[in-house]
Amino acid sequence: MFQLIWDGLFVGSFYALVALGYSMVYGIIKLLNFAHGDLYMLGSFIAFVVIGGFTGLMGIGSIPILLLVLLISMLATGGIGVLIERVAYRPLRNSPRLSALITAVGVSFTIEYAVRQIFGAEPKVFPLQLSGQPMQVLGARITMPQLILMAVAAVLMVLLQRYVMHSREGRAMRAIALDQNASLLMGVNVNKVISRTFFIGSALAGAAGVMAAAYYGTIDFLMGFVIGLKAFTAAVIGGIGNLYGAMVGGIVLGLLESFGTSWFGGEWRDVFAFGFLILFLVFKPTGLLGERVVERV
Amino acid sequence: MAKSTFNLPAPAPTITRPPAVSGLLAPTRFMRLVALVLFIAAAVLPFISASPYLISILTSAMIYIVLAMGLNVVVGYAGLLDLGFIAFMAVGAYTSGILTTQFGWSMFESIPVVVLACIAAGLIIGGPTLRLRSDYLAIVTLGFGEIIRITAKNLQITGGATGIHGIPTWSFFGWSFKDGLELGGITFNSKILLYYFVLFVGIGLAVVAVSRLGKGKLGRAWKSVRDDEDVSEAMGINGYKTKLMAYIIGAIWGGFAGTLMAAHLSAISPNSFEFLYSALVLMAVVLGGMGSTPGVIIGALFVSLAPEFLRDFSEWRYLLFGVLLVVVMIFRPKGIWPATAVLPFLKKRNIEEVPPTEAVTVVGELDDEFGDELDGKRNANEEGTR
Amino acid sequence: MFSRTTRMKRTLTLGALAASAALVLSACSGGLASGGETDSGDGPIKLGMLAPFSGSEAAFGDYMKFGAQLAIDEVNADGGVAGRDLELVTEDDACDATASVAAAQKLVTAGVKGSVGGYCSGATLPTLPIFADAGIPMVIPAANSNELVGQGAFMINGTGTQQAEAAVTWINKEGAKNVVIIDDNEAYPKDLADSIEKQATGLTVAREHVNPDEKDFSAAVNSVLGKSPDFVVWTGYYQAGGLLIKQLRAAGYAGPILVGDGSVDAQLSAIAGADAMTGVVGTFTRTPDMLENGAQWIEDYKKVSGGKDPGPYSIQTYEAVKTIAEAMNVAEGTDYDKVVAGLKGLKDFPLLTGNLTFADDGSRQGGGFVIVEPTGDGGAFVLKDELKG
Repeated sequence: MFQLIWDGLFVGSFYALVALGYSMVYGIIKLLNFAHGDLYMLGSFIAFVVIGGFTGLMGIGSIPILLLVLLISMLATGGIGVLIERVAYRPLRNSPRLSALITAVGVSFTIEYAVRQIFGAEPKVFPLQLSGQPMQVLGARITMPQLILMAVAAVLMVLLQRYVMHSREGRAMRAIALDQNASLLMGVNVNKVISRTFFIGSALAGAAGVMAAAYYGTIDFLMGFVIGLKAFTAAVIGGIGNLYGAMVGGIVLGLLESFGTSWFGGEWRDVFAFGFLILFLVFKPTGLLGERVVERV
Repeated sequence: MAKSTFNLPAPAPTITRPPAVSGLLAPTRFMRLVALVLFIAAAVLPFISASPYLISILTSAMIYIVLAMGLNVVVGYAGLLDLGFIAFMAVGAYTSGILTTQFGWSMFESIPVVVLACIAAGLIIGGPTLRLRSDYLAIVTLGFGEIIRITAKNLQITGGATGIHGIPTWSFFGWSFKDGLELGGITFNSKILLYYFVLFVGIGLAVVAVSRLGKGKLGRAWKSVRDDEDVSEAMGINGYKTKLMAYIIGAIWGGFAGTLMAAHLSAISPNSFEFLYSALVLMAVVLGGMGSTPGVIIGALFVSLAPEFLRDFSEWRYLLFGVLLVVVMIFRPKGIWPATAVLPFLKKRNIEEVPPTEAVTVVGELDDEFGDELDGKRNANEEGTR
Repeated sequence: MFSRTTRMKRTLTLGALAASAALVLSACSGGLASGGETDSGDGPIKLGMLAPFSGSEAAFGDYMKFGAQLAIDEVNADGGVAGRDLELVTEDDACDATASVAAAQKLVTAGVKGSVGGYCSGATLPTLPIFADAGIPMVIPAANSNELVGQGAFMINGTGTQQAEAAVTWINKEGAKNVVIIDDNEAYPKDLADSIEKQATGLTVAREHVNPDEKDFSAAVNSVLGKSPDFVVWTGYYQAGGLLIKQLRAAGYAGPILVGDGSVDAQLSAIAGADAMTGVVGTFTRTPDMLENGAQWIEDYKKVSGGKDPGPYSIQTYEAVKTIAEAMNVAEGTDYDKVVAGLKGLKDFPLLTGNLTFADDGSRQGGGFVIVEPTGDGGAFVLKDELKG
């Protein structure tokens, strides 16, 4: 039982990291960045390339190396996120929502198949792998890597929360999320803040990607697709546009999946997750922590 | 109210209405003629070359056109982004597949059940979710697409991961296409018969019916809801019901395309209904031109035939599609053949220029106490604020 | 409403169309009005091969192509079939039903007289009626779903049932009593898992399923360990198999693991990590390195492939060509019924992987599965037990 809870929490922290980026971007420009899951995948591939370039330099399996690679990967993924926003989403900021969504689908495809062209369709073994002896706690198997990864995720989330809630730039983000035109009139550099949001959101997704690659061991070009959907589900469950909601939603989804698969069997896992998504959207579209947003005509 | 007994003459129009264009180059007549020519060309084609390969890929392409027309109703006319449209094709294909292989029905008999199943699917999927905003709708439809695919993969009755094979081709009341047909000394084998069937019934119905629907009252309701739902509601159009109608009609066409595909391939499996295929048919509609019949046909032909002709470059296919989608959305969001486009050499109505109305009287001169130097500034200001 | 001139214009246009259609109709050849293509009786005999050359299974297309080409070269050097040379025509089925149907039609149009392809069962099934209708006998080298049995095609690879037999024999040999079978819910692995469960009489069998797109199998792993098995079977492919084995070992399962032929690949060891691979075995049909004359065959193969190593199903495709060539020799031609009779009549036809006799349902008698273990270079699988006797 505790094993299920622990596994759910672990997987949930990944979902939460990716859901944060999703939620942030949606909150600020009301766009579902369909390509967000693919940034997760990009993060892991960039780390793959970086480590490949430095093999033999230092020992494998060391945490400091992982953190260094994590940082590089986060910066790179953040940059790519900003690039995507400039190239694909900014021109469509005033277009109907449909166009922007379709463009997002196109961007997602482009990223996935570009990676496929470069790296091939076969999953690649991630050179830096974390392994550790499991410890028994309350009847659940816990390993050091799991603890470390969850700690990293928690640190990132705390940093994000401080940034958004207590810094000037964070205030700017929240202002734009409330009313873009008013923020512009108040002197907020909307373009810059949006780029910054994309940077942070994408960096978080990239971080999740690197950690998942190190923990599970393989990366392939489609790994972002499923995560993207799960992240969206998590964001919706928690309340989209709401940061705490994304974190809560991620954890809740992880737990739901963990229990669901143990009750119904592995092949129904995705059906379970999507079923919950639909239930939430129908009965509580604002999610667990969301507020009712008045739609202005 | 009593019938009015006095006739008020209608006021004369301010301008005379320009006459309608006529002749061969009138847009509607020309397009209809082009459609007729293409239709006849497609019908005559098997007489020129009956190679099984050509017939096979053309049948696939035509089924794809039917599918794309279905999605055109949802995305093009009603403006609902559906990322899981292939689920309806799956419903149609599996329903007729199960009925024909496990219950021994003929394809023809399975059609009413297919229609019912698609209506049910449309209601189940669209019912709760069409109240949501368009962004949420997109992901939810994707989720439903996955749910249907995974369910088909897990259940025994749908054949599990292997799917269903041995699906018979069309048959009417005992006479099956399989037996072939002899007409005037020419034998038509079952594949050719299916080709004609898809051409006449599938394309004929789909293209004509769907485009007529788009031009009718329901089509106008869709357009209005797509442009601005709140205003439509104020005008008395039930946005929810209109969108649901679009969804259900799209579902029926998707299911019909699924039935045709099941008969054509004789085997279906869950792998054919992955998200990738939903995205591809969406690309066909978007690239071709949302809401425009010729556009969607072009888009569907492109997406279904390009992989065949570019067999050597199949690896680049999806990357190319992704890039194309982004480029088209940024630079030509209405698609290759937009809904309101008219070929440049066709006649357009000549609309006379309406002369500006003359002033009725001059009231008086402005009492200008600031003199002429301000006139220059005022004019400059007026230029600036225009 | 319409002026006279417009009506005349319309009639003229339509009339012109009809006339041209009639002209085309009468003047055409190769269309419906003409007869079908017949075998002219001389010139090379074309053998068609459907294999995946694109998509996730793209690597196997080349393995099969070069194996077939080697066989064709050998047969031609020996005098060909009924005095005619053989020629290979390949098409890409991309492991997808729609593409394979189109590709099969392409082969039929190209005039092939025999089919020696078929890797993905899901893509091969729809092509069965196409080849059957065109009177083209099929010898399938790789695809071996149970659905293909008894449909008129002949299979070189052992079927799922035969592979299950080998697996159960091994399980019994190891003395295991409590077995958990994990599959990934795909067509072929599920098939194989069902067959193993059916044949494992007298043993406690439990089933688990995982989603191969995921990376986290902790739920399944927990469930498996909860059953305290002494033997675990994985019937899926190596991409997910490697991760599963790694997670099973990390969770504390130290018992034997048997993998199906979909996971027999050096990559399995790479993904799972060498430490996790102790105690792992697999069922597989023989590959060239396991044969007595293997080295020579590999040399010959490399000459045809331009230096590339053979891979899974190279040898099976080689054998498919040899088999159908032999049947055509017996039939003295390419007549469908005679060739099929020839195939059915083959008794102990000597092939590298053992003598070949087809059973009535088209499957290969005996199956030819052996047990392999990943103790070779970089985790490559080598022969462990031939399961004879």
